[in-house]
Amino acid sequence: MSKLTLTQAINAGLRKAMEDDPKVVLLGEDIGTLGGVFRVTDGLMKDFGSHRVIDTPLAESAIIGTAVGLAYRGYRPVCEIQFDGFIYPGFDQIVSQVAKLHVRTHGKVTMPLTIRVPFGGGIGSPEHHSESPEAYFVHTSGLRVISASNPQDAYTMLRQAIECDDPVLFFEPKRRYHSKGEVDLDADLSCAPAMGAARVVSAGTDATLVTYGPLVPTALDAAKAAADDGVSLEVIDLRSLSPIDYAPIVESVRRTGRLVVTHEASETLGLGAEIVAAVTERCFNYLEAAPVRVTGFDIPYPPSKLEKHHLPDLDRILDGVDRVLGRPNSLSGLEG
Amino acid sequence: MIEEFRLPDLGEGLTESEIVAWHVAVGDTVALNQVIGEVETAKAVVELPSPFAGTVTAITHEPGTTVEVGEVIIAFEVEGPAGASGPDAEAPQKRVPTLVGYGADPESSSRPARRARAFAGAPATTTTTTTVAASAPARLPAVLPAVPPETPPAPSARVQAERPRSTPPVRKLARDMGINLELLAGSGERGLITRGDVVAFAEDQPHGAGTPVAVPASSAGPAQTAGDAAREVRTPIKGVRKFTAAAMVQSAFTAPHVTEFLTVDVTAGMEFLARLRGSRAFADVKLTPLTLAAKAVCIGIARQPSLNSRWDEAAQEIVTMNYVNLGIAAATPRGLIVPNIKDAQALGMHGLAEAIGGLSSTARSGKTPPQDLAGGTFSITNIGVFGIDAGTPILNPGEAGILALGAVRNTPWEYQGGIALRQVMTLSLSFDHRLVDGEQGSRFLADVGAVMADPAMALALS
Repeated sequence: MSKLTLTQAINAGLRKAMEDDPKVVLLGEDIGTLGGVFRVTDGLMKDFGSHRVIDTPLAESAIIGTAVGLAYRGYRPVCEIQFDGFIYPGFDQIVSQVAKLHVRTHGKVTMPLTIRVPFGGGIGSPEHHSESPEAYFVHTSGLRVISASNPQDAYTMLRQAIECDDPVLFFEPKRRYHSKGEVDLDADLSCAPAMGAARVVSAGTDATLVTYGPLVPTALDAAKAAADDGVSLEVIDLRSLSPIDYAPIVESVRRTGRLVVTHEASETLGLGAEIVAAVTERCFNYLEAAPVRVTGFDIPYPPSKLEKHHLPDLDRILDGVDRVLGRPNSLSGLEG
Repeated sequence: MIEEFRLPDLGEGLTESEIVAWHVAVGDTVALNQVIGEVETAKAVVELPSPFAGTVTAITHEPGTTVEVGEVIIAFEVEGPAGASGPDAEAPQKRVPTLVGYGADPESSSRPARRARAFAGAPATTTTTTTVAASAPARLPAVLPAVPPETPPAPSARVQAERPRSTPPVRKLARDMGINLELLAGSGERGLITRGDVVAFAEDQPHGAGTPVAVPASSAGPAQTAGDAAREVRTPIKGVRKFTAAAMVQSAFTAPHVTEFLTVDVTAGMEFLARLRGSRAFADVKLTPLTLAAKAVCIGIARQPSLNSRWDEAAQEIVTMNYVNLGIAAATPRGLIVPNIKDAQALGMHGLAEAIGGLSSTARSGKTPPQDLAGGTFSITNIGVFGIDAGTPILNPGEAGILALGAVRNTPWEYQGGIALRQVMTLSLSFDHRLVDGEQGSRFLADVGAVMADPAMALALS
């Protein structure tokens, strides 16, 4: 076991994948000579060469398009999109080509791409650098979407993503890049939990709190504060956003009867909307209260000095918990 | 000692920078965070704040030169041990800025907590009790083993069962009727609990079997409404009702009660009250037989202190108080409460009347503070206001006596050798026979009666 930051864990995962499979190549802006703006690919060009760690022009469409061609020829490209808000020029390639080629070729061609996307706010950056565009890709069939919340998951899930024959978008919670955790670098991938499996990260009895990526540590903090208030929260880290592993969520809600979903992305048609709808369909007869979403607001990402009001924090999450528990809350008296 | 400052990695694409200008020279004294120079990156000219307080000893690169990240650009002579004020010191975590932002919040090591909320003290709209079925079979946790959860699972969470299946409207009906769905067997599809199941369960309850009467919602808490079909109303035992029940059971089964009655002609006492009401000094207070009784009790206790004592089982001692915290039983919308007048022995009629008025209006508005309910030493309950003559009151736990005041009635009574229509009332005194013998109890009740009958007796007795 090694104590690594999330950045170092991803770096280690990339290094391991490149050592294990010579077909793994990296593409992205400033990932080679510089080692990436967040130093995620630090040292990899030096060790694997510029033919495997490729500095690309500032053109996300070309990064993905090149990767599609490489995949056609049997490579396993790993693309870095420098910031969440820069993915849109590559959007057409992702939804029109990457997501569909396997089906279009009747299975003759696989698209084992991994697209790494640092996402989310909380680092004091402006728009384009703080966004949460995951729902666009969850909405598109033919893509897998995952997000790690801690260094161990980042290491394991990235390797699983690269090994996976399906295209995977790997969303990295950039405000947790400096969080440290124990990482088992030698663990056999076949023993690891499935890439698509959700995980109960804190067991509880009174309400179920579902989240992923950067808000998992916030949710765990909320669970601790709630415990001090006599409320027992069960926190579930989705890990996989597409497909969603509903089994542990349903199992939990059938015990607690109450569900809160939280994410940084805006509320309308976000992951929370989908999870609330799906869980209501599966657990309608067990629900004690209407499920609640605690999300970023339906606004363009605000200036960095205001982002702490936009991003769900411990207080907003626990206010949502109060709502499903029928305790006094910020909307008391306003609900119809 | 000498501290060196290396060109920092300002992030996002920076490998080298050009030194634009130095604002300090060798020999200058520099304060912490003072701007010492400017460097130009690919994106902007950035001011360099000094990470040290000290004296500049060397500047290694002239303006105009390009410097690799990590090269030493300036050195300082600082006081204290190496690294004490340097950026690598094991100081509390700080934000790690990038060129595109001021960095993520540092991780806090303190226990997470909520901010204060304005509405935190308001009552809940629904009960949030979660029943844990201890007998349910242990369920396999949906926990993946790879990363241990930060919070260890509570043992009870593992045996928690699925909650009973029902629909939201039926859940609301059951909640309103105070029915625990876990006790019901559902008759619907795959055991779904239906509205009919809940209503049938309510009707089958053994309480009041044979004589199905609608029990009116008691005064404890807001009335729980049920459908028209309900022949009984089930009210959860909670709040004042629950507290009162526990206190009464405790008192009735630990203190051996004795109750004595005394019927007295209080015509003179009532005339005395009438006279006081007419005086200017008492114009601002309400004078009732209770006011007079409160004074009489204080006088009686002074002569029979055992009525104002407490049985301390743990210490095996009898505690006799030299003060009287006089409890006044009050019927409130939420149920019976007994706030007490602190140091009632020190108050005159006016003070007692004022205190009783204050206590009862506070109690009716539901705002009695807990300290008014604690520490009582003797209580009075005024059942006369309901038209009742006598009763056998149960002691407030921890007190030795309680006096019930009956209604004051015009009654044919022996008066000056004949029969006259007099104002007569009955006093009922219960006392704890562990603390008070029949003699003291009887003398006390006689004293109280004497003062009620003739307030002038107060002069003789005190």
